[in-house]
Amino acid sequence: MIWIHLLGVAGAGFCSAPAALPAALPALPPPPPEYYEVALVSTGRVPGTRQAEGTGSVTFLPSPFGLAVGPDGSYRYEVRVQTERMLPPERGVYVAWVTTPDLDRVRRLSSLDAAGMAHGTVEWIQFLIVVTLEPSMNPEAQGWEGPVVMRGVSRSGMLHTMAGHGPFQVENCGSFGFN
Amino acid sequence: MHIALTATLILAAAQGGQHDMQGADGKGGWRMPPMAPEMPTLPGLVGAVPPVGAFLPGEGLDAAKLPEARPSSMVSMRNGDTLDISVSLVRRELRGKSYVMYGYNGQYPGPLIRAPQGATVVVRVTNEIDLPTSVHWHGVRIDNRFDGVPGVTQAPIEVGESFTYEVRVPDAGMFWYHPHSREDVQQDLGLYGNLLVTSPDEDYYGPAHREEVLVLDDLLMDENGLIPWGRESPTHALMGRFGNVMLVNGQTDYQLDARPGEVVRFYITNVANTRTFNLVIPGARVKLVASDIGRFERESWVESVPIAPAERYVIDVRFDELGEVPLLNSVQAINHFRGTFYSSVDTLGIARVAGEPADAQVSEAFEVLRQNAAVSTEMEAFRRHLGRAPDFELETSVRVTGLPLDIMRAMEVDTLYVPPVEWNDAMPMMNWLSTADQVTWILRDRASGAENGEIDWSFAVGDVVKIRIFNDPDAFHPMHHPIHVHGQRYLVLARDGVPNENLVWKDTALLPVGSTMDILVEMSNPGEWMFHCHIAEHLHAGMMFHFSVVDEESPPRG
Repeated sequence: MIWIHLLGVAGAGFCSAPAALPAALPALPPPPPEYYEVALVSTGRVPGTRQAEGTGSVTFLPSPFGLAVGPDGSYRYEVRVQTERMLPPERGVYVAWVTTPDLDRVRRLSSLDAAGMAHGTVEWIQFLIVVTLEPSMNPEAQGWEGPVVMRGVSRSGMLHTMAGHGPFQVENCGSFGFN
Repeated sequence: MHIALTATLILAAAQGGQHDMQGADGKGGWRMPPMAPEMPTLPGLVGAVPPVGAFLPGEGLDAAKLPEARPSSMVSMRNGDTLDISVSLVRRELRGKSYVMYGYNGQYPGPLIRAPQGATVVVRVTNEIDLPTSVHWHGVRIDNRFDGVPGVTQAPIEVGESFTYEVRVPDAGMFWYHPHSREDVQQDLGLYGNLLVTSPDEDYYGPAHREEVLVLDDLLMDENGLIPWGRESPTHALMGRFGNVMLVNGQTDYQLDARPGEVVRFYITNVANTRTFNLVIPGARVKLVASDIGRFERESWVESVPIAPAERYVIDVRFDELGEVPLLNSVQAINHFRGTFYSSVDTLGIARVAGEPADAQVSEAFEVLRQNAAVSTEMEAFRRHLGRAPDFELETSVRVTGLPLDIMRAMEVDTLYVPPVEWNDAMPMMNWLSTADQVTWILRDRASGAENGEIDWSFAVGDVVKIRIFNDPDAFHPMHHPIHVHGQRYLVLARDGVPNENLVWKDTALLPVGSTMDILVEMSNPGEWMFHCHIAEHLHAGMMFHFSVVDEESPPRG
């Protein structure tokens, strides 16, 4: 009975704006976390893309836990690539990829649409976003063949070693098992 | 700066090859937490110890003269029943050694209290430990007088004194109880227990062969025993006190026997000071059923259960294959010295699957993912708030003063990348040396600029309040925060602008670094209530405020 009573009390306020609170305004959803954005930088190798810029925004994939994480502890992200200042290719198609820092695993995100956007998912703790110029739009492609137009590294790629520099510059790294 | 380790590695170090103590051993009673042998100490920190006294429970007492703690037992209570709980010093046996720790009724965890939804049970608590204490009934929309927060809802229970709690349980779910007085010490030493509130609806959950409780925790130890806690204020104020010995239900060797096809419902609670677990049960199917205060709109298959301090999840697990099935904590830890991530896997326990197959009807019913229409119907009224601007906006930050210069420099250098979640203690010595006197974790009201205790929010019963919380990655050295609201329930409406399509009532939810979380708090319960980070050391480092909820039809007493 207490349960029912509480629901009743609370229910009275569900549909109306709280009297003591500011008036409800249209919501502006917060942007994806800027901090984890991936800045894409042109290689300058492909005609019409020398001035190209881009970003890869990463947002956790929907998860009942809020935090999308796999059984190996890696985060699971949705990646949205936004490019600009690129001329349409004379031949071929721009395609966005993600790859590990060792380049041993590659996944095609999608081709860039007319607005220069692509999206897909990634589940690696560190990764690169690569935009290439491919000879054709092949959704089954396992890796890129064409030249790299832009590339960028996930924020996690900036995790740096402190061995031998910074606070540890006076340490003999060899004594700690490092060459 | 020191690198992170898996608990296994740290324990291995503790058992033999650990880092040189470099003068800290015995200084003022301090022993430095064990670290990897390969890890150097920051040159300016050799021999440093935290600038507070070292505390161990029952100092001078011979553990052998204390009663040996027992595993938790269940207490079924009906409306109006009374339970006496003594908070006392106990002897705990861990890995073949005896330690002085704390216990509720001499048990680890404390008694599992089982009560029917809607009941009010009475719990008389007597303090027989060496610190003032209190009992907070986490997640329960309890009468404010019994929320257990010294200085807000009650005076602390001094040594030798008692306090009687009337625990009203309006919601079904798995709750827990713990001190709200130096919980960095008391909770860590064993003061935690579960409160299982059962629904009168026999079909509330799907069928399962049986139910088990999993209480996840960790303890920080070396070969000499427990690493002391800060006497005047907590150590480990930067990242919270990570342990290096994993505990399930207070045990280091949790085991479960199961039959093939058996469906076991696990009620999981994370009672660790700061560690977020990522529970994996390889080889078994896992169905996510419920969280803090009730069921999800829809059940779902999951591959792991990431669970932050104070959160609860209910999962149904079917053990299909014969043999041993490990329960793992599997995370991507950080080695700051090498600048690498590494897979850190700890075995929390073992399920042994053997014998005759379990009742097939229940095993088959497990295949169905239930849609909880009643939950969805209830949520519809709240979901409409998704489209409106937040009523309040909070941001998190941290302020550091008086830490050794070497720590400050290292922290500043170490800001090129901050992970969304700190799964391991990636800088154990710096963390250990930081105390709540030097570190202030901050919740800031963006509109007023008020911080922590300066925040003065007031609501009426029936208000539904949308709060946007942003974990500022540009703070000096940010970290994730499990955000806990006392006495009310809330929904996580959206994260980083992405609507949550599968709502569940929460009282604690994880806010990763850089993320924005929109929560909708149903102000249903009058009183003065806490809003805080549930990393015990962050709470004591200031990351809290309280707000009032007034029942305008029934003014507060007194």
